[in-house]
Amino acid sequence: MNKGLTIVIKQTFRSHFKTRGYWLLVLSPIIFAVVIGGIIFGVTQMQGNTTPTVAVIGNSQVRQVFIRDEKTLDIKVSKITDSQKANRSLAAQDLDGILTLQDDNATLTTQPKSNTINKEAFVSVLGNISRSQKATNYGLTAAQTQDLIQPFNLKSVVKQPDNKSTNGENSDMANYGIAVAIGIITTMIVMWYASMIATEIANEKSSRIMETLLAATSASIQYFGKMIGIFALAVTHLLIYIIAGAIGYVILQNNPMLDGIKQTFSGVTIGFSIYAVAFILISVALYLILTAMIASLINDNAQVQQAIQPITFLAMIGYMFSFIMTNMPNNLAIKILSYVPFISQSMMPVRLVTKVETWPAAILSLIISFVAMIVLAWFGKNIYAKNVLSYSDDKIMSQLIKNIKNRN
Amino acid sequence: MIQLTNLNKQFGDKVAVKNMNMALEPGKVMGLIGQNGAGKTTTFRMILNFIAPTSGDITWNGHPITQTDKQKIGFLPEERGLYQKLTIEEQILYFSELHGMTRSDTKIALADWLKRLDVVGKATDKVQSLSKGNAQKVQMIAALIFNPEFIILDEPFSGLDPVNTSIMMNEIVRLRDNGAMIIFSSHDMNNVTKISDNLTMLKQGEIVLQGGVQEIREQFGRTKVYVEGPFSKAELANIAGVTQINQQGAGFDITISDEATGHQIFDFVTRNGYIPAFSQQPPTLDDIFRQEVALS
Ligand SMILES: Nc1ncnc2c1ncn2[C@@H]1O[C@H](COP(=O)(O)OP(=O)(O)OP(=O)(O)O)[C@@H](O)[C@H]1O
Ligand SMILES: [Mg+2]
Repeated sequence: MNKGLTIVIKQTFRSHFKTRGYWLLVLSPIIFAVVIGGIIFGVTQMQGNTTPTVAVIGNSQVRQVFIRDEKTLDIKVSKITDSQKANRSLAAQDLDGILTLQDDNATLTTQPKSNTINKEAFVSVLGNISRSQKATNYGLTAAQTQDLIQPFNLKSVVKQPDNKSTNGENSDMANYGIAVAIGIITTMIVMWYASMIATEIANEKSSRIMETLLAATSASIQYFGKMIGIFALAVTHLLIYIIAGAIGYVILQNNPMLDGIKQTFSGVTIGFSIYAVAFILISVALYLILTAMIASLINDNAQVQQAIQPITFLAMIGYMFSFIMTNMPNNLAIKILSYVPFISQSMMPVRLVTKVETWPAAILSLIISFVAMIVLAWFGKNIYAKNVLSYSDDKIMSQLIKNIKNRN
Repeated sequence: MIQLTNLNKQFGDKVAVKNMNMALEPGKVMGLIGQNGAGKTTTFRMILNFIAPTSGDITWNGHPITQTDKQKIGFLPEERGLYQKLTIEEQILYFSELHGMTRSDTKIALADWLKRLDVVGKATDKVQSLSKGNAQKVQMIAALIFNPEFIILDEPFSGLDPVNTSIMMNEIVRLRDNGAMIIFSSHDMNNVTKISDNLTMLKQGEIVLQGGVQEIREQFGRTKVYVEGPFSKAELANIAGVTQINQQGAGFDITISDEATGHQIFDFVTRNGYIPAFSQQPPTLDDIFRQEVALS
């Protein structure tokens, strides 16, 4: 690779990588996720700490069974066995419940501030005790008794069209999740990094560093170097999330919440993941190229917002369409838009995973975006080279139109 | 050697540079002088290929200037600009790396340059904390630290106080003695005279004067006389060939049409013997500049 290009890429990467702004950008979503996760974890934990204390009265044999099953019943059996004492304790809110056992029935008394007691579990334990007692009375053997009280096994399976069975929830949920995820990721990355590259170019142009830079290198080296540098920052950003995700996955391996997420996304294959990531990367590159091109028309930093507004707007459009699409996947306009660069990234991957489109169509859409990226990069390079050293007072749009008109 | 041949640049109908020819040689300093808008910056931009000439050629040792050649050019732009958020060192490291200098060499050289140019501040200071003059010195270091073979300085002395101006001049002379080709633009004739070997004077894009500094002055003849002594302005004005007299401190500045008139003035003012001052000089570049600009 060209030496000058490598230097520009490195410098662009380094000068941003070291800033507080970049790490704030990278870490704030992680911190956000950790805080939210922490709160949820804390709440569950607190509930776990409030195991209800229950006094079991009237049958010491049953009480022994309850003491044995404390863990599964998620209770603590109180030492109290005397009814009067128990009632006093309940009134003082030291107890969460009193289970009073008679021959064939039982009463669970609680108070308004009691921690939740799993009544189904009580019924099931008591039922088993009662059934095995009755079975003994009928003269059944231990094996027969065991067989009798065995619960019925019902398995739940969702059949996928590609013969891959998952025991997950509704797969619409997953697709919706993927649509939202791809949309949000692309839109966020575009918004962050478009403004980063626009600010960078506007800064160099307005502070007149450009002449010093162009004295040593060419405009195209500056253009591609900056873009690749910023792109590398975006990729690094994604990689940090992937690593953070992997670490989180290992830490939370046995967490029920993660199981839910895993189930939701179990329809997503490796092939699809690569496709979606490739699409996100290509479209981020497309947006960066467009931004760099427009930013070369900016004269000072104050114009940055004005310049990137239409670009973020464009990114938002794709995002919006991805929502509309989930409701009417076969609309013709939607079908066409899923091949249009700048928008297709938030449509085509979802259409692929929901089997609205086939792999060849999906690959075609990706290739169209890729070709658009190459053409725009070449075109943008010329616009950039022509404008980075000229300071026009015209509006950005009219400059752009002028540039396109007199292309030679 | 850098050679500009029949160089022309038009912006629409406006002619910015007209039929320019110029040769720059290693170990020689070329001063480019001209009024505002004369075409100095435009010339530099064409050499650096920021803008394409309308017609004409620019060559370095006979071939067009390539990207590899450009790495050996040190350029100080007219509009100064540095990354405000970077430190002096980060800034210089980047620019010199683009010019093919290694980072470790730059670090060693930078300490030396900061000392020599008397920059107030450390290499780890951010540029935004520097005074204008110090920022300008840093920019100068950025243009020169990699020992360029060809140096282009657009108004290098603007904004500098006399002490710093002479520091800069010493640097330019040092680089010249090391064999660099140097071209710089200036409005201040004094500076141009002091460090230029050759000069090119531009007027509305056209070269009106070109050559060695002394040679150009001599070309106008020794038509400036300065005298001090016991005589009046009216007496001097009576001498044939005197075109202008101005009181200048204790003496008179006299402009004459012909070098020979100097003899008559000398004979007249020394008719009674000793006088404290008599000198006959070619016009200064400043005089020539004014004279050329006035002609139109
Ligand atoms: N991009 C441009 N478009 C149109 N005209 C230009 C452009 N750049 C320069 N000019 C014109 O070309 C002429 C020469 O300008 P140039 O900047 O070369 O002057 P200069 O000698 O450097 O002046 P100064 O001493 O003020 O820096 C000026 O009349 C200027 O208006
Ligand atoms: Mg100029």
